[in-house]
This record gives sequence, structure tokens and C-alpha cells, in this order.
Amino acid sequence: MNSLFADIGHQSMNKYGEQLCGDHIDVLEQGDNSTVIVLADGLGSGVKASILSTLTSKIISTMMAAGLSMEECVNTIADTLPICSVRGVAYSTFTLIHLLNNQTAEIYQYDNPLIIVLRDGKHYCPPKHIHQIGDKQIYHSRIDLQENDLFIAMSDGVTHAGIGLDRKFGWEREDIIQYLESIYDPNFSAKTWATILLEEVNNLYRFKPGDDTTVCAIRLRKREVLNVMFGPPAVHEETENMISQFLASEGKHVVCGGTTSNLVADYLGKELKPNLDYYDDDIPPTATLEGMELVTEGVITVNRVLAYAKDYLKDNESYVRWGYKKDGASQLCRMMLEDATDINFFIGRAMNPAHQNPNLPISFSIKMQLIIELAKILKKIGKRVNVTYY
Amino acid sequence: MKVTVCIGSSCHLKGSRTVVERLKELIEEKNLGDKVELAGTFCMGNCQKDVCVTVDDNVFSITPEGVDAFFETEVIAKL
Repeated sequence: MNSLFADIGHQSMNKYGEQLCGDHIDVLEQGDNSTVIVLADGLGSGVKASILSTLTSKIISTMMAAGLSMEECVNTIADTLPICSVRGVAYSTFTLIHLLNNQTAEIYQYDNPLIIVLRDGKHYCPPKHIHQIGDKQIYHSRIDLQENDLFIAMSDGVTHAGIGLDRKFGWEREDIIQYLESIYDPNFSAKTWATILLEEVNNLYRFKPGDDTTVCAIRLRKREVLNVMFGPPAVHEETENMISQFLASEGKHVVCGGTTSNLVADYLGKELKPNLDYYDDDIPPTATLEGMELVTEGVITVNRVLAYAKDYLKDNESYVRWGYKKDGASQLCRMMLEDATDINFFIGRAMNPAHQNPNLPISFSIKMQLIIELAKILKKIGKRVNVTYY
Repeated sequence: MKVTVCIGSSCHLKGSRTVVERLKELIEEKNLGDKVELAGTFCMGNCQKDVCVTVDDNVFSITPEGVDAFFETEVIAKL
């Protein structure tokens, strides 16, 4: 297995007053370690721009993924896109990043602001070659990837931010680079980068974006495995087997659930020490157990993690809460959404007699539903997820 | 004397946070920090009732409203 992992996160903001975004991002995975990412910005805004950018990104990602040349892709786009009746051109700018085996990146750029690369937090300018395809000039770069490489692709909504307000020429490339370098933290996830940048852009526009704005961040990092055990096994005799498989799996270990953590503590012969600090009124305290990175309560905590994960896929507004808080759900969220690249769930299917009280809003089926949904969302976020039931 | 409050899922939903916080306040108010040790535990298997609390080896089931009375009769009176 390749030791590098591409963490990809993107976010868009509509032009003020528009219902649709004229930028479009397409992320197409090819096997385990190769990915095609296209960021397209359609001419104008609204429906027309949205159609243009969606078509462009779909055409490029599909053709590139099928191994066709850049030239063929561009010609196809030029021949296929509907022509704008106002401007007389068929037009959508694009940035294409093809990650090969997470070792090399092939980057093609057509008229979007040039991609910004930070290598270990410092700006790095990859060599560019110009490809002339018809009347279009396309920049091509090839980069050998290193751990902690950060790529920021964007639509011109970013560079235009603040024009006519605080900035005469908008948010200029040099200033964006300086900003990125000044806030650089190798632990920020790609989604966090996209969120931070977009927030800054929104500020510069004074909360009325003058253009559709999209940021796509790609961060190369080492794989990091997180193992989560949740629930005792359906058959009591399976307990030892389940725990030993959980502990044998490489990476960090987290136990969710009171009964479950007691079982693990017994197995390890260590004392389980519940804490009594409430950092969040609704989330039960965590516990400390030697050998485990984190021990939390079960259903209530995981339910909150699921809510945060869902929001992460959307506008990521709750990041301001889970990004720093010390309650179990926030801690688990940081481990899952920011730190881990691979998550293994060890799920026990025992019915918890404690939860069968009809006055309580938790039940066995809810727990199973939680895990199924959480696994689905983590996959969407780009994590490699593996669920084993016991 | 050791007072242990269950902070498992069920007891949490029935108000163990309020119980813990009120007990912390009472212990501080009465200056009993050196005599009463407050601890937490995960599920003690008494989920059908109110919040499960033990005083040394005796098990009690209390509501958030009943904390003060419980503290008087089961903690202070028995010190």
C-alpha cells in the first residue's frame, strides 16, 4: 500500500443573490491511490454557468480517467459546450489535477487562477510548460509528491474578493500566498483549509460575494489508522476474540460505550477511570484507560459525531465547536475527521438491556443505524472505512 | 466516604450531569472535600430507575431534584 494519502476537501459559495453555483468540482477516484480532480468555472453566473461548469468537469474527469489525452479532452469540450448567445463563446475555465498513485501530480490549468502549492508550509513554484491547443493556452506541470504538500486550487471568485471595497485589485496571489503561509498548520485537514479560505473571501466581499467562489484543497499526508470499538458482541463468548482483533489492529484505539469500555478494561487488566468534567452539557464525560487514546460514552456521543460529520460535508459550520472543545464527541470528531485516513469499526451487536427502557430515546436499532450512516458519511468525506460486526 | 455517580448513557439522559454538578457544589459549600470523594462510573446496571448513585457499597436511585435531600440524609448524616 502506498504510504501517502490524498486528503481532498472543497467548498463553494454562491454569488450574492444566486441560487446556483457556477463553479463545479468533480472528484473521481481511480482505484485506491489515483484520483482525478477538476475545478471548472462556467462563464457568467446562475443556471448557465452551472451547466457549463458541470459539463466541463464531467467531460474532463471522465475522459482523463479513461486515459485520453489532454488535447482530446479540450477539443471535446470546445466542440460540445453550448455557445453563449450573449458572448458568442463556449467557455468554462478549468483546473485539472491528476494524482497518479499518490506519487505524482499532473496539473493542467486553463484560465483559472494558478494553483498555489505549499511544500512544508512554504510556497513552492512548480515548473510550468505551455501547451497550445487550438487557440487555448494550457499550463501543464508535473510534480513529484511529498508528504505535507498542500495544493490550493480556486476559481477567480477568490482573487476578485474585495475589489472596489478594501482592495483595489482584489485578493492578489502574493497576498493569498502570504496569508496561507502565515496560518499554515500541518494538521489542518483539506476541508479546514477550504473553509478558512472561503471565510476570508466572504469577509473581503463583506458577506456579499461578487462572484461564485470555490476552493479545493489537496493535502498529501501519511496514512493514519483509527480503530473504534463500539458495543459488546452479540454472543458473550466472542468478547475475547473481538477485543483481541481490535487491539491487534495497527493504529490508534478508541472505545465507545460504558459497558464496552468495562470489557476492554477487564481484558487489559487496567483500571477504567471515568472523568467528571462536563465540557458540553449534552455529552457525557470521557474516561481514561491506559492503552486507549480515548474512551467515550456510546450512543449519545456517536450521535453527535454523526451530526458534526454531516455538517462537515456541507458548510462545516460546527467546526468552530468541535475544532477545539474537550468533550468526547469533539475529541472523537477531530480524530475521525482530521487525523485519520483509515477508520476500522469493530461493532458489537449485543442488545443492551439498559437501553430497552421505553422512556429512553435510544435503542439497539438506532445504534446500528448510527454506524451505518456514519460509515457512509466518512466514506463520502474520503476516508477508507472498514466495518466488522461481532 | 466515596460517592459514585453513574454517567452512562441512560443515567446521563436522566440527569446525571445535574446530579454531579450539584454534588460538587454541595461538597464545596460544606467544605467536605477531604472527607467525601466524588467519582464517576459507567453503567452499573440499574438503568430502569433514576440516576444511579452509590455511597461506598450502598446503591441509591435519585432524581436531579432529590440531590439536596439525598446529600443530607445519606452523606452528611453518615459522616
